[in-house]
Amino acid sequence: MFKNILLATSATKACDHAARVAFELAARFQSHVAVFHVLGVPSRGFSQMIVDVRTGESVPLDDDYKAWVTEEIKTYYENQIKSHKDTETNVAVGFPHREILRYARDNKTDLIVMGGSTEDPDLSGYKKIMAGTTLQRITKSAQCPVLIVNRPAASFWGGISSIVFGTDFSKASDVSFQYAKKIATSIDDAELHMFHSVDISSPHAGLSLSQEEIEDQLREARAKMRKRYVSQLKGFNNYSIDVWEGLPYVEIVKYAREKQADLIIMSHQARDVSPDKERLGSNMEQVIMRATCPVISINKHTSALNN
Amino acid sequence: MSKKILVVDDDPNIVDYLTSLFEDNGYTVNSASDAQKGLDLANDEPPDLITLDLEMPGDWGPRFYRKLTQIDTLKNIPVIVISGLSSNQYAIQKAAATLTKPFDKDELIKIVKDILME
Repeated sequence: MFKNILLATSATKACDHAARVAFELAARFQSHVAVFHVLGVPSRGFSQMIVDVRTGESVPLDDDYKAWVTEEIKTYYENQIKSHKDTETNVAVGFPHREILRYARDNKTDLIVMGGSTEDPDLSGYKKIMAGTTLQRITKSAQCPVLIVNRPAASFWGGISSIVFGTDFSKASDVSFQYAKKIATSIDDAELHMFHSVDISSPHAGLSLSQEEIEDQLREARAKMRKRYVSQLKGFNNYSIDVWEGLPYVEIVKYAREKQADLIIMSHQARDVSPDKERLGSNMEQVIMRATCPVISINKHTSALNN
Repeated sequence: MSKKILVVDDDPNIVDYLTSLFEDNGYTVNSASDAQKGLDLANDEPPDLITLDLEMPGDWGPRFYRKLTQIDTLKNIPVIVISGLSSNQYAIQKAAATLTKPFDKDELIKIVKDILME
C-alpha cells in the first residue's frame, strides 16, 4: 500500500507526531522511509550563506555542514531508525515546499507525511488555526497523497482501520474515494465511513431553509452517496454512509471523533494558479488543524492513484 | 464481592505497581500487556473499570477503546487513561479520567472510588 514514505520533517518537536505515524505505518506496511529535511534557505541568490531553519542562524553552507546536519537528523530519529532499518536520511537546501515536492517526484514517493503547526505557546490565535505555508503548498501540488498529523493526539492510534472519507461530491472527491477504498480493502478489519455535510453555515441558508428542505437535501445526498460510492464497494461490506447538516469542517471533525476514526481522507479543490500562492480550502485546512487523527489530503494532481 | 479492575499496559513495572496498589485497596485485578490480550480478558471476565496505557505494541489505547465500545456488553465500562504522552487527555475523549505518568497514587485511588461510586 505505502511502499515509499517520505517524512518531511524539521526534526523538531513539532514533527514528532508525524514521525510517530510515519514509522508506525512503515512498520505495518514494510515501507521504505525517507527522512527528508530542508536545512535552510539561501540568504540570497547563489549565496553560500544559509539561514538554518532549526537554529535560525546564518551559516556558511559546505559539505561538512550538510554532513553534520544529516548526522543530527539521524541522531534525532535514532530510536526509530534502529527499529526500522529501511530508512534513509537526506537533507537539502532551498525553499522547503519546492525541495520536498522535488524529492517526492524524483523518488516516486507514494505518501508524504508531515507535521502541522509548531507547539510554540506564543503562537497567536490566528496561527493556531492556520496551516503553515509549506504544508499548504505541498498539499496543493503534491502528486501523491499527503498525510498530515497536526495534533499530538492524532498520533496515538498505532495503525489504520477506521477510515472516514469526507466528500463534497466533486471530481477530486472521487479520487479520494478510490484511495479510501484502496486502503480499506487492503486492511483486514477496516471500516469505511463515508460522510457528507450539507452546508447550512451561511446565515441565509440556516434561516431561509425550512427543516423539510434541509432533510430533503440530506436524503438526496444519501442517495447520491449510495449511487456514486456504495455501488463501487462490491464485496466490501464494512461501511457506513452518513450525511449531517452544519458547518462542514466542524461536522467532519465531530463525525470522525464519533466514529473514533484513525484516518480522515478528503480532497480539496485546487485551481490552476501558482502553487506559491494557492491556499487550501478552508474546510480542508480546518479539518487538518483540528482532527484527532491523521488527515490524508488528496489533490487533483494525484494521478499516481490511478496506476 | 470486590470490584474488578483490568490493567492494560505494556510496562511490567507499571502493571506490578498498579496491581499492588489496587489489591491493597481491596480490588481484584487482572492485567494484559497489549490491546488484544486486554480485549480477550475483558470479554472473558468483564471488569468494573479499566486502566489503559496509550502507547503499546500493536494497537494503541484508542484502538483498544474503539474495539471495546463496539462490544455491547463492554461498551459502558469506565476507562481511565494512564499515559506519559503529552496531550493524552485528547486521545480518548470519552474516557472517565486521564492521568499523566508519574501520577499520585492517592489521586488515582480517589478517581477510581469516585467512578465506582464507593
